[in-house]
Amino acid sequence: MFVLPPPRYPPQGYTSLPAGMPVPMIETNNILSNPSGPEYQFLVGEGLYVLKEDLHLATPPPHPSEAPIVNPNPLATTPQPATAGTRLSLLNLDVSSLFPAVYRSTSRADGAQGSIQEHPDESKSSTDMRESSSDAGRLNFSDVPLFTSNAPAFGEGNTLLAPVAQKDANKRRKPKNNMSKSNSSFISRVINHESLNKRLQDRPRDGLFGFANVNRAFQWLDLSSTSKADYLTKILFTKAHCLCHDVNKVTKSSTHIDVVMGFSTGEIIWWEPITQRYTRLNKNGIINGTPVSDIQWIPGSEHLFLAAHMDGTLVVYDKEKEDGIFIPEEEAASRTSGDTTRTSRVNYSSQLHIHKSVHSKNQKANPVAAWKLSNHRINAFAFSPDNRHLAAVSEDGTLRILDYLKEELLDLHYSYYGGLSCVCWSPDGKYVVTGGQDDLISIWCPSETDSRGTALVARCQGHHSWVTSVAFDPWRCDERSYRFGSVGEDRRICLWDFSVGMLNRPRAASVRHRGSVSSRPGAGPLQRAETGGTSASGRLRSDSNHSTAVSATAAEEGETSKGKVLSHPVEPRAATATLPPILSKTVDDDPLCWLGFTPDAILTSCKNGHIRTWTRPSELAQQLEEKRDA
Amino acid sequence: MAGFFQKLKGAGSGASKTDTAVSTKTKKDEPQPDLTPVEKLLHNAGPIREDGSDKFFGLENFGNTCYCNSIVQALYHSEHFRNNVVSYPPPGPWEESNGTERKKVKATIRPPVQAIPNGNAAGASKPRQSFGAGAQLPPIAPSMRPEDKPDSPEYKKKQAMIRGPVLELAQEDSEPYGMEECTFTGLRDIFTALIDSQSRTGVLSPQRFLDIFKRNNEMFRNSMHQDAHEFYGIVLNDVIANVEAHGKRMQELAESRSKDGSSQSADTALAKADANPGTRPPGTGWVHDIFEGVLTSETRCLTCETASQRDETFLDLSIDLEEHSSVTSCLQSFSAEEMLCERNKFHCDHCGGLQEAEKRMKVKKLPKVLALHLKRFKYTEDYSRLQKLFHRVVYPYHLRLFNTTDDAEDPDRMYELYAVVVHIGGNAYHGHYVAVIKTKDRGWLLFDDEMVEPVDKHFVRNFFGDKPGMACAYVLFYQETTFEKVREELDAEGMDQVKMATQAADLATTTELVNGSSPALLSKLNTQPLSPVDESETLVTLDQIKSAPTAIDVARPVDPLPPPLSQCEAHPLVAAPPPAPAVLTEADKAATVPPKTKAEIAREKKEQKAREKAEEKARKEAEKEQARIAAKERQEAHQKMRETLRLEREQLQKAIQESKQMAAEDEKRQQNKESAATDTATSSDTGGNDEPPRNGFLNRAGRTSKSMTRKSFAFLHIGQQNNNKDEGKGGDKTDRSDASEDKGESSADGGGKAKENGNHPPVPPPPPPPPQQQQPQNGSGTSSSGKHGHLLRPWLTPRSDTAPAGAVDQLRHNKDNKDKPPLKERFSFGLGRKKSSRFLSPS
Repeated sequence: MFVLPPPRYPPQGYTSLPAGMPVPMIETNNILSNPSGPEYQFLVGEGLYVLKEDLHLATPPPHPSEAPIVNPNPLATTPQPATAGTRLSLLNLDVSSLFPAVYRSTSRADGAQGSIQEHPDESKSSTDMRESSSDAGRLNFSDVPLFTSNAPAFGEGNTLLAPVAQKDANKRRKPKNNMSKSNSSFISRVINHESLNKRLQDRPRDGLFGFANVNRAFQWLDLSSTSKADYLTKILFTKAHCLCHDVNKVTKSSTHIDVVMGFSTGEIIWWEPITQRYTRLNKNGIINGTPVSDIQWIPGSEHLFLAAHMDGTLVVYDKEKEDGIFIPEEEAASRTSGDTTRTSRVNYSSQLHIHKSVHSKNQKANPVAAWKLSNHRINAFAFSPDNRHLAAVSEDGTLRILDYLKEELLDLHYSYYGGLSCVCWSPDGKYVVTGGQDDLISIWCPSETDSRGTALVARCQGHHSWVTSVAFDPWRCDERSYRFGSVGEDRRICLWDFSVGMLNRPRAASVRHRGSVSSRPGAGPLQRAETGGTSASGRLRSDSNHSTAVSATAAEEGETSKGKVLSHPVEPRAATATLPPILSKTVDDDPLCWLGFTPDAILTSCKNGHIRTWTRPSELAQQLEEKRDA
Repeated sequence: MAGFFQKLKGAGSGASKTDTAVSTKTKKDEPQPDLTPVEKLLHNAGPIREDGSDKFFGLENFGNTCYCNSIVQALYHSEHFRNNVVSYPPPGPWEESNGTERKKVKATIRPPVQAIPNGNAAGASKPRQSFGAGAQLPPIAPSMRPEDKPDSPEYKKKQAMIRGPVLELAQEDSEPYGMEECTFTGLRDIFTALIDSQSRTGVLSPQRFLDIFKRNNEMFRNSMHQDAHEFYGIVLNDVIANVEAHGKRMQELAESRSKDGSSQSADTALAKADANPGTRPPGTGWVHDIFEGVLTSETRCLTCETASQRDETFLDLSIDLEEHSSVTSCLQSFSAEEMLCERNKFHCDHCGGLQEAEKRMKVKKLPKVLALHLKRFKYTEDYSRLQKLFHRVVYPYHLRLFNTTDDAEDPDRMYELYAVVVHIGGNAYHGHYVAVIKTKDRGWLLFDDEMVEPVDKHFVRNFFGDKPGMACAYVLFYQETTFEKVREELDAEGMDQVKMATQAADLATTTELVNGSSPALLSKLNTQPLSPVDESETLVTLDQIKSAPTAIDVARPVDPLPPPLSQCEAHPLVAAPPPAPAVLTEADKAATVPPKTKAEIAREKKEQKAREKAEEKARKEAEKEQARIAAKERQEAHQKMRETLRLEREQLQKAIQESKQMAAEDEKRQQNKESAATDTATSSDTGGNDEPPRNGFLNRAGRTSKSMTRKSFAFLHIGQQNNNKDEGKGGDKTDRSDASEDKGESSADGGGKAKENGNHPPVPPPPPPPPQQQQPQNGSGTSSSGKHGHLLRPWLTPRSDTAPAGAVDQLRHNKDNKDKPPLKERFSFGLGRKKSSRFLSPS
């Protein structure tokens, strides 16, 4: 029998509440406001974006079991637990409505297929994949359209991973435990809206759901509702903070939603909000004890998701499998160059260390697969729209492009300096965009590394502090030009229009005619130094323009790594095209940590729990509306 | 348990002085506490290094001297700077080569047992009081003294003092290298003492250095909270001045000798001049090499489109802060274009008049060590005082500069953050400074006065400015590095974490990692288990670490640790034996401080068992053989010398006793001085022992105004317009008179000086002087801008002249060197950014 706990928080903070209110109301409430004025709008080429509303998620007070910190010692050397600002996972149950009309209207040119190598067994396609192909309304905006790809499903070929045939295809398996009745010490309390079911029934089918984390709370919001400040469900965790979350776009339906959350304790919760059931994975960090910095469902998969742990490991979990005690299967040593034994220096710049392969014969328990990328925290990752590749960025300033189906590291790129914090793919899968602690956004073209061995297309300068999130606006992208947005610690949103032909190149260097290094004055010494450095640390793409010694090493290195060259030198500033933003505007009072695009708005969220909705210029919205109707 | 008793004690009786003594006495009787985190970190660190990169000493606080401690730590842990400081001055050839090693510093170890009561009376209690005044710490229940709380910094600092060894520097240590006592020698003594120390941890008392420094810089001559950045600038300028003065004297000496016919020194002088052709005296350019960068200010007249350039040197960059920005961005706005208009027009040579112009500053030469001063203290008119800005300014671990000129060499140079000086407190007049420093291979350490503690790399990011506790990064030190070094380090860093995690999890499976046999593991913590170590060894007590020589002398060719501390009161710290030739000293000094090896050997004879000694000697001599050709002869000489050395040693001890006495006297004097309520310029004349008083006084007066000049680039335009009250120094008068006047006023009211930090107060500027005065003296550009913190010299001619302006400077230098401190020349007379030309007189 579940008994509501007595009021835990001193009521001083909530003086507006009359005495004798129901206990759940003792939580602070979300606040919806509609500030207006010139400072709450911004103008770009297509028109005026106006702040529609600001939803402030209430930050929960610390759990009573935690001793209040009265006078914090600023020099306390005790490590701080990981936390994260508010991020959103958006979900639209309607399949058709969210297709980016602008983008779809244009025929697809030589996009991802042309640029990214063909997979040998492309014709095969799993059930998972087909399902996702039909599911064009994905809201994971980094890979919205173009599900023409028929990449094989992850783990295909390993019969142990084949989905268990279910009697009723529409009946999804639910997590085991009832969340409301849970007496887990992990979950502090769960608060459902009084009329949750009614609200679910009454809402429009194409309405947007939002899942958001703030501090130790996790909220399920109905963003289409007029009373969106009232959460549908709010979960308060005892200590752990939810750092990342994702919704499965394959299994979504009005009766079933699969949500995964990654926590500062390393644990993962699979939650089904409609029935309020959950399963806790990696319990007590049995598989990996480090916090989860990013988590995403593997595209097209019903039950597999990928979690980035802060020790630099990517782990694939199966939501339905039990945790197993995980000892890395030492496949890495034998897999690539035979002399790479564990005793020698582990070189993360040349290969992926597979602690457990998806093809492992032992698939009774989690993890399904585990790959170690480096020893540094992976800040974010993104699946390519064609579902073949994975881009992962980490705190040591590296961008790794993986063929996650084959479990191979393809490319390694470096930031200008500082860690990289966010990454996304262009809708056609041609470009990867990263943002980081050099205040820059870098555009990479992984499929086209030039003769100098760099895939860097341009660096975008416009933020005044670290960049925290980047995303493409698929509704404003076509095959020639791209629109993407970024937010940063400087509380700014920047919008960028980027087309390959229009890049602002440095005077001395014409980047597209790559390989003309000699025409770059002043870049000589650095170039040599940089590349020399890279070769010293590992791999280098051979380059005729470098000094012979370097080339020689590069060639050698190339041979040792089977001719496959992985890591790429840092481009000097003088040789790199720069891109100015078309808009840079302060849109919040706190550092921003996420942005997303919907057909009619841009959403931003900040560290303090503000979710702001900026409606697109009305003409465009109308245009979209018409296209949708047509 | 101990802490609990302390609490009870503290609770029972108030915090009076007698009480402190009592409680510390009981503390003395307690068993030695467990290893501190630093000691754990350093456990099994292998032989002591000769470059001092493995010395992690706290610095004693003498009452609000944390500004000094944090900066000195940051300087010490700059490898370039440390190495250069201890190897300057190079030994002159005219000095007889009877000494072979670098002179050691007469550092005494305050015996811990007696140090506690003494320390409480003299040193240790002072910082306590000042902490209270500084209010940098959370208020603790009144019944309990902060130092009794086991987790409090006070407690840890006290423990550090108890633990020792506490190094104290004797006076008059500058003689051995032929320099007068000055800021440089004070700093050098600290560095040398740390390097020579046989212990890796402990506390060093920088009192001597501070005395010297305060003697020369009047405004620091009080026990007030001071600005760390200001201190940094003055120390660097002092060091440059001292070194150049010495270099010049040596040069002159060499010249005079060559006139005398001493061919040897003439050759050397020539060689030196060849080696370092330039305006500076030979061998003195190293400070510039490390810290000096060049800024180009490009001014484009909007009327005639003529662009003019001027180069200025800088020792650090003072950057304005924006809310929620990054250091990268602040540096960009530092170089952002600026309009010179209205009252701040630009005098264009081409048009021949005041014109509107665009100006921007870019970095032309990137320094090896880039010090970034975040202007956190801003003058607010409302309160007519400096307010602290708690803007969140993020700083990355690595940095490249975007604001370089097109012709800059290596414009993509990679910098790594190696030190953060943190200010804790609510405003500019109170607070505390600590330094968080990345050491060569031990990761990041927190240096909080006496306390040294290893910290997580993420700890560095706690001082962006937005966290509770009012701790903000104030000065950031970035040092030059390369991409491959960074990659290597990052790779290794992760290995450590993995290894630590592995050890923590006690996973025996990955033995390769634990053994640390691969070179990749040799970093940070992993250097400790050079030989496979039993895990349990980490639990050895402090005694073992301190006194057991085994861990050290296994691989170390020098003698083991100094004898028990009680015995070595008068024992000079034993220096590591680098093959650097020693500097000649005066005869009596040579007698009192015999070459280190000899002293060692003599002592060894007494103290060590025969076998050990033989081993040591053999190894030592083997080493020597590598360095010298005539090893055998020298060995024989050794045998002879040993006899004489005994006599010398007795002399030495006498001398040390004397110097100890002097130190005690000095301490007394110091105390007296501090007890004196006022610190007017005349009353605090303690420092002038070794100078003629007249000179000393002039010196100070001059310096005061100068240092003020330096720090008030922007301050100048706040108020003072009376340019006539020049205090009579040569050189550019107007601005200095402003400064000295400022100084005079502020010091008159009790030394409460306004710290400006080069901030531009948002004060409406005073009415502009007559337009003639606005014209720059030099038509080539506007005067130097107050944007940067410490300008080295007023380069009044463009840098493009191959004959550097410094040559002219140098001549002037030589002329008035006799009666004026040379560093006067060094201070730029840069003015407020927006008012760059206003204060230059039309002389």
